[in-house]
Amino acid sequence: MAAAVVTRGQVSGLENKEFEKLAVPLLDGLYNFACWLSGNPDEARDLVQETFLKSLRGFGSFREGTNFRAWMYRILRNTFLTSRTGLERRNTQQEDEEGFAELVVSQETPELSLIRRADTELVQAAIAQLTPIFQEVILLADLEEMRYQEIAETLDIPIGTVMSRLARARKQVRTYIVAALGQKKVVGIK
Amino acid sequence: MMICEWREKTGLYVDGELEPAAQQSFTAHLESCAGCAAAVLEQQELKKAVRIAGKRFSAPPELYAQVRRQLTPEEKPGKRFFWQWAMTTALLVVMAALAGAWFTRSHNDNATVAGLMGHHVEMLANPARPLDVISTDMHTVKPWYQGKLPFTFNPVKPAQESPFTLVGGNLVYAGQAPGAELVYQVRQHKISVFIFSAKDVHGEPGAGPQPFTVSGWQQNGLQYYIVTDAAKEDAQQLKGLLEEANQ
Repeated sequence: MAAAVVTRGQVSGLENKEFEKLAVPLLDGLYNFACWLSGNPDEARDLVQETFLKSLRGFGSFREGTNFRAWMYRILRNTFLTSRTGLERRNTQQEDEEGFAELVVSQETPELSLIRRADTELVQAAIAQLTPIFQEVILLADLEEMRYQEIAETLDIPIGTVMSRLARARKQVRTYIVAALGQKKVVGIK
Repeated sequence: MMICEWREKTGLYVDGELEPAAQQSFTAHLESCAGCAAAVLEQQELKKAVRIAGKRFSAPPELYAQVRRQLTPEEKPGKRFFWQWAMTTALLVVMAALAGAWFTRSHNDNATVAGLMGHHVEMLANPARPLDVISTDMHTVKPWYQGKLPFTFNPVKPAQESPFTLVGGNLVYAGQAPGAELVYQVRQHKISVFIFSAKDVHGEPGAGPQPFTVSGWQQNGLQYYIVTDAAKEDAQQLKGLLEEANQ
């Protein structure tokens, strides 16, 4: 994808500076998120560039008081979803909206020591095996430390769906880690 | 088996999404419910593990350059030529300065040290933010780094007469290089000991005045930095103990 330049006619210099101040600090997080979504560094790079381009073009109409970070992540995600990889992955997504109370654990958790023993590579594998709708929600919540409201804005879904997806995503990560470390039965997860 | 009614709110509690009053009630409840306490701890550990593992990819410098180019309005050709000339000249000057610094073997990596100081300040400013591993036991803290770092090290052995108490540790990055931050307490002061592979991170702290006590040295292929608001003597003493533990 060729690097496109937004000309003066589209965004004023002042807006440009303001945009740069707000957006560039998000670049690393956006790239990391794009890599997880697309599974391809080259595609992630293109996604980030396109995200910056689109958001810069739309910055003139960006309303003050709106969450800028959620706005940028939403543009990135929408750009991904309309890409070829995104369309392919969207077709394989499984909506799984079980209740939020799903992640109930029993009081004795030998799994705690297993989770503590899990190395970074194993946790990355656990995140990688999640379907996109679970992967994005757990990354936004636990890595980007977004509030539920912010995640709901980014993904354009209700807060209740954020909660249920997050609970399901965590359950799957936990189950994967415990299974990988040799535990046959996950106590307390129904 | 009856499951406590609070249990399904564990995720909300760990994410800080309960109403303030409910958050307080849950905290009070944890003192009397071992099941919920264990569930909260497990969720916190899981969240922490995802936070660390989720930061898997770093944007390459050329992407920053490409994006900045995107953000730069087009210049007139003449003006662009001037800037190209100016940039080339500036680049040559910087390269000459860097070469001079290299040849005189002055490896002051102030940017790294400044970053580590920033990390230490952030930790002091956010005492409520938990460390990645919280334990005074070196046999808990050291194994926690296994699989997360491409090297190993020994924390200071606990001794009765030692004024230093191990508090825990964090996984930190200098650029893309992972490292350990061991946190010690001495009296009312916190001391951060940063440890990296010397292949990735190296350089002495600058000789000029620093807002904190900073010390750096290499031992067995590892680069150590101490950053603290405690006295220089404390840093020196801890450095000696670390050197002894890693002989």
